[in-house]
Parts: sequence; structure tokens; C-alpha cells
Amino acid sequence: MQYVIVGIGGQGILFTSRILGKIAVERGEQVMGSEVHGMAQRGGSVISHFKVGNYRSPLVMAGDADILLAFDQNEGIRNLHFLKKNGSMVVNVHSEDDMKNSSLTAFLKDRSIRVYSLAGYELLKKHMGGNFLFLNVLLMGAMCGANISGLTFEEVSRAVKELSPSKFEDANMKVFRLGYDSISSGQ
Amino acid sequence: MTEVLCTVSTKAILLGNEAIARGIVEAGCLVACAYPGTPSSEILPAVAKFADEMGSPMAVEWGVNEKVAFEMAAAASFTGSRSCAVMKQVGLNVAADPFMSSALYDLKGGFLLVVADDPGPHSSQTEQDSRHFAMFAKIPCFDPSSASEAKEMVFDAFDLSERFHVTAMLRPSVRVDHCRQDVELGEILPFKGEVKFEKDPSRWVCLPAKVRVNHPKLNAKLEEIRAAFETEFRKYNYEVPAKKESVLGIVASGVSFSIVSDILKSLGREDVAVLKIGTPHPLPVKMVTDFIEKHPRVLFLEETYPVMEMQIPDRTKIMGRWNGVVPGAGELLPEVVAGILADILGIESPSGADSMLKDTLEELGITPRKPMLCPGCPHRASFFSIRQALPNAVNPSDIGCYSLGVNQKAVDAIIDMGGSVTMGSGLTLAHKVAGIDRPVVSTIGDSTFFHMGIPGLVSAVYNRHPFVLAILDNSTTAMTGGQANPGVGEKLRKGDEGRKVDIEGVCRGCGVSHVRTVAAYDVAAGKEAIKEAWESAKEKKEPAVVIFRHPCMLLRLQQPVIPVRVDPEKCIGCKFCINFFNCPGLVFNEESGKAYIDERFCVSCGVCLSVCPHGAIVEVSEEGE
Ligand SMILES: Cc1ncc(C[n+]2csc(CCOP(=O)(O)OP(=O)(O)O)c2C)c(N)n1
Repeated sequence: MQYVIVGIGGQGILFTSRILGKIAVERGEQVMGSEVHGMAQRGGSVISHFKVGNYRSPLVMAGDADILLAFDQNEGIRNLHFLKKNGSMVVNVHSEDDMKNSSLTAFLKDRSIRVYSLAGYELLKKHMGGNFLFLNVLLMGAMCGANISGLTFEEVSRAVKELSPSKFEDANMKVFRLGYDSISSGQ
Repeated sequence: MTEVLCTVSTKAILLGNEAIARGIVEAGCLVACAYPGTPSSEILPAVAKFADEMGSPMAVEWGVNEKVAFEMAAAASFTGSRSCAVMKQVGLNVAADPFMSSALYDLKGGFLLVVADDPGPHSSQTEQDSRHFAMFAKIPCFDPSSASEAKEMVFDAFDLSERFHVTAMLRPSVRVDHCRQDVELGEILPFKGEVKFEKDPSRWVCLPAKVRVNHPKLNAKLEEIRAAFETEFRKYNYEVPAKKESVLGIVASGVSFSIVSDILKSLGREDVAVLKIGTPHPLPVKMVTDFIEKHPRVLFLEETYPVMEMQIPDRTKIMGRWNGVVPGAGELLPEVVAGILADILGIESPSGADSMLKDTLEELGITPRKPMLCPGCPHRASFFSIRQALPNAVNPSDIGCYSLGVNQKAVDAIIDMGGSVTMGSGLTLAHKVAGIDRPVVSTIGDSTFFHMGIPGLVSAVYNRHPFVLAILDNSTTAMTGGQANPGVGEKLRKGDEGRKVDIEGVCRGCGVSHVRTVAAYDVAAGKEAIKEAWESAKEKKEPAVVIFRHPCMLLRLQQPVIPVRVDPEKCIGCKFCINFFNCPGLVFNEESGKAYIDERFCVSCGVCLSVCPHGAIVEVSEEGE
């Protein structure tokens, strides 16, 4: 399983590979991933690669990813070339109109890419007092709700819980459920 | 004498840098020093964390720069204890002086030098290959291809250093430093030696007469090490043979080996052999030339310079950098390697940029997001004050988050760490000789000031150079992830107490008489302070210092929350705020022709209230909203 996780520096995307890593190791699987630290983190585009299985290289090659997890819609669109045919993108959408762009929909259709969108900022404004640092857990919930990663609700929520700092544990569980329901009920 | 045993033996998912750190602690290293720098920064804090957890007695300290860290660690090894110095590739430029001379010594305790390279580069001012530096200094170098291999190499590097009494380099590249992998954890090796400095000037004093003895000796050691690399290190240097008759041989080191292995596997090629090399210097030349002979053509994949390639006497059969088959700059990403292989093997290139996707990006105007100072960053406010105070000034700057002040048109030149101060001097001199009266205001961060700013300041005081030095003190080394520095005073190991060094006091001690401190968020006071400092510098014919102080946003300290909005009635769409304040939370809507607050990013620091010349940015609470 190969994941590419994209967003903007400061959105907390590193937490996602920690969750995925914990789950994989508990399942006894090998993991390999690549992260961005340093200059690019300062509000610029960031990308994490994460591979579960028998790989040597930490990088996902363009056209090989199973899942693209996009914390930002523009970053998601910009990195669609990483997805293989029949791959899936879970994306935090801030402009529904852009998602209807005809070149984009043609590309997605051509590659049979499934898109699971959620309005992350709106959801967090409504339910979490606008604390956008919960985006990472929200997206994990959404990915789980989309049922594309082969990971169960219990497995992922346990990993999120165990990796959460204790003062965020309850809030994270609430957000995880929020993300999960926003996709699973919509499909 | 120390003997520490610890009983943990499990697997954990570690960042490459944490794996290296774990290796350093397990190997029984007693003194570890570093100066932070991406991609090496996470190593030393992880050493301290593991040392705390495992009860190692070791000392773990930040040096004020890489030369300081290197010399501390090197001298510790003179006593017989294992020690290591950690830095990024350009850090070794700063530490080059002690690195070159100690390379000639007959060392005693194991001395490991970890230098992290940054092909790409992602966060560096050069793309240099530290393996070249190992060759220059004639010392051995290990080039790991994964996090777990990097950890294992730490032990072998210490052993090799002790066996041949040389500095041993471990050169991880960014993809190893920042990869995450499951790694085997072990225990701390017991230290069997004795920590004792024995007086022996013929060993520890680098007089020319001694160099004449040591240099030929080092040459001989290097050949012995090469012989060892030919035979003993099969776990790092081995062939993955082709299952069928080979059409191509590939010699690969570092993460390039991992990348090409995955590609060959996914292509299902069984007619390509790979020779993995984990010790690129001194190169096991016989092993490599034997491999070259067996294959019709041979491709060399290594980052970033042709270090292995250059050690092969006859390159006629080699496809690499010397003949342009492998690009001479940039990272060897999977797509690049796949492209090279496709050309050589005559197969279809991996899918390039899709035209529909390209159209999408163009139509929606999506481009990569450039790095920007964080919302609420005090540097943004300081730069705004500096620019507004003296719009005609030349603004040399330095290496840190504040390099991003270039987005605010407040940074005109950067060379390296500490260069802002010395460029201030150089520009002042050129202006003076030409009779030009133009202000120079340099900017430097707190960590960089301590790193290499001080010698330049002393020189400027001594030579009487009138310019303004603005020290942007955010109480951390932010760019590299928030490490402490002397101005902060904290240390790495639990229970270790440091002492805070006062920046104002240092400046006064260097002989600067005009030293003022302002709150970075106070734009009006900042502007005044810069104007006043420039007047004072001119009058006294000496550098003047203004310290802009406010904690970094990444420290997440409490501060007043001042929600703001843009009043569309007053905004005339001049983009002044975009061009000179440049905040992710303040953006321009091309359709309406007005600025607005992007609440996804705004942190309500309130600084932009004093930015708009038309008073269009207003406080929300004032109007009872
Ligand atoms: C010789 C050298 N060593 C280390 C680095 C890595 N590095 C980049 S910026 C920086 C220091 C930043 O700290 P500071 O000057 O306090 O500025 P801040 O990022 O906090 O604004 C360091 C250590 C480097 N670029 N060059």
C-alpha cells in the first residue's frame, strides 16, 4: 500500500504517517516513509510518502500511489500524478467550483480516480471552534470512512487515541468520528 | 570508567535521524556535540532523549557553531572516549579547519562525524557532496541506503575509527535522515577503555614536522581501510546479481540504491545486476572494476557528485556524470532514475506530466506554494519596520527563517551564516570609497548571531563601520525546528542546566555603544529605533545594534488575540500590504480587487493594523462584531 500525503507546512501532516506507521507495525508489516522537515515547512507545499510492505525506497514514484491524502485542495490537485489508475484521493475542499473544472473531471475519469471530498474548514468551524489543527485527524477519519485503505474504524481510532497528547484525546476522538461519518454517510 | 547496560530489545518506527541517534547512544558514545541544520537537526535531540531513557552518562550538547561542536567532540576523543560531531553539509564548511587537521591525527577514542547532505536541495544554500570532503581529508566514509543501515553503520564507523585511529564519516542524505522505518533497538555497549588524556605533544600538536610524518601514515592507513572495504564489509558492499544474462550493471550507493532496487523490481527486470556500495571512500576499487568487467555497460547512481565514479581509473565503459547520462545537479528522484533507465534499456519512459492535469493547473492557477514566514511571525513585523524606516537602505541578511524576508522586499543579499554582519561592513566600505551616503541595515537571527555574527561585529567595531545591525531575537533557532541557543540557555539532557547569554551584553562587550531593544510587534517603535540607530552609527562612526524581540510563533506562547478584518469601503486595492507585509492570513482577491483576511491562516496577532496606509485593516471587536 502506497500513500502520498500532501498539504501546506504547519497543517500537521506528519502526524498522519505516525498513525499509519503505528498501525502497520502492530499488524507486523514493514513500513518505509519519507517526510519533509526544514525550510519547506514554513507555509510552503509539503509532501509525505508512506509505503507499507516490502519496499527499499522511502519515495513513492509518480503513478504508483494507492491513496492521496490532501490536506489542501490545491496541493491535492497538484499531486494527482502520484496516483495510479483506480487510485483514490481524500481531499479537504475549500472551493467546490474548482473541483468541477472540466479538465480535472476529465483527468479523474480517464484514470478512474475516486475522489472523497469533505469541507474540512467548514466542519471544524462548526464543530471544533475553528481549530484547524484537527485537520489531520479529520482526514484520517474520512479516509477510514471511505473504506479504501483496508484499515478498520477500531484500528485507526485506537492508534489516533494512543498517539494523541492526553489533553487532545477526547477532542481527537470526536473529530475522528466527524471525519468518518462525513464520508461514510455520503457514499 | 563507565559501564551502562540497558535491557530494551524491540522494534520501533524511527526517523532515520532517530535511528542514527539510537546507534550513537547504543555504541557507548560519551560526548556528542552538534549544531542544528536540516537535514541533520533531529539527531542530537534524539541522542539526548535516548540517553535519558537508557540511563547513559554521556554529555550531549549544542555547540554555538559547527567548528565549536567539532572541536569539542574531537578533543573528547583524545581521551579515549567515543565521541561524535553532527552537522549538515554546509556545517562542515564551517568546521573544515579542525576537520582537515584532525584527519591527520592518530586518534585514540572512536571519533564519528555525521554529516547530512541535502540533494535537491530542499533546505540548504549548496548541494555539495560531503563524501568529497571525506576524500579531500583522506578519511573513510559510510553512505547509508536506509535508516536501519545508517544505525548499523554507526557501530562500524566507531569500530573502524578505533581500529585505524582515524575520523570516520557517516554521510546520510536527506532521504535517509527523514525516512521513517522500522528499526531494531538494542542495548548500550559496555565501555571497556579508560577515559584519560595522556600528554603526548608528538600526537596532539599539529606542527609541520608532525604533518610530514602523519601524512604518509594516513596514506598507508587509507590503503589498509580500502583493503578492509574490499573484503570485510559484505553487509554494505554486495552484488544483487542478475538472474538472467545481464544487459546492464548498476553501481549504486546511498538512497539511489534503494530507489533503483524498487524500480527494477516493479519493472520485473531480471537482466540487470546491481552492485551496492556502502563505503564510497576509499572505494573498494577492485570489487567495482571486477563488476564493471562482467557487464556490457555500467551505470553509476550516487548523490550528488561523481565520487565513486571519479575513483575508477578507466571510465570508458561507465555511464554516469562524466558523460552526462546522469544529470550533474539535482536529486535522483525515482522519476529521474526511471527516466535514465528507460533511455538505457530502450523502454517506455514512465508517464510524464499528463496534459489534462497540466490544463487543470493552468486553468485554476495552481502553483506550488512557496515557503512563507508563519502568520504572526515577529520577523514580518520587524522587516516591515526596517523597510519603512529607511526605504533607501541596502539590506544584507542571513540564514534563518528571516531569509524569507525576501518576500517582503526586505532582504537584498545572503551568503552564509554570519554574512549579514560582514556584508554590512563590505557594503559600507564600498560606499565610503565611492563617497555614497546610503544606509545599510543588516538583519540576523539570535542563533546565527551567536553562530558566526560576533566576529564580524567585533571587526566592524574595530574598523569603525557605520551601519545598523538588527538582531531578530525570537528566542529559538526556528528554521531548523526550534532548538535552544545561548540566548535561550536551555540544554538538551534532563537535569542539565545552562546559562543564558545576554545578547545586549555581548554587543556592548564587543564595543557597540548604541544598543536598543524593541518589541518586534511594535511597528512604530521599530521604525523609530532603526532611524535613530542609523543616525547614531553615522555620528559615532561605528555599528549600531537594534534588537527586535518577540518569541517565535512555533513556541506557541500565549499572546493577546486581536481579530482583524479588511474594510472593503476603505481598501483601494493598492496591494501595499501584500507586497510589504506578505502574510498568509492577508490575501488579495483579484475579482473584487481588494484584500481580505484568510481565516484559515490568520492568528489574530493584530500587527497588520498598523500596516495599511489607508486604515482599511481594522479591529473586529472595536465595532462590536
Ligand atoms: C553553516 C550552517 N549551519 C547550519 C545551517 C542550518 N540553519 C539554517 S538557518 C539556521 C539558524 C536559524 O536560527 P536563527 O538565526 O535564530 O533564525 P530563526 O530561524 O529562528 O528566525 C540554521 C542553523 C546552515 N544553513 N548553515
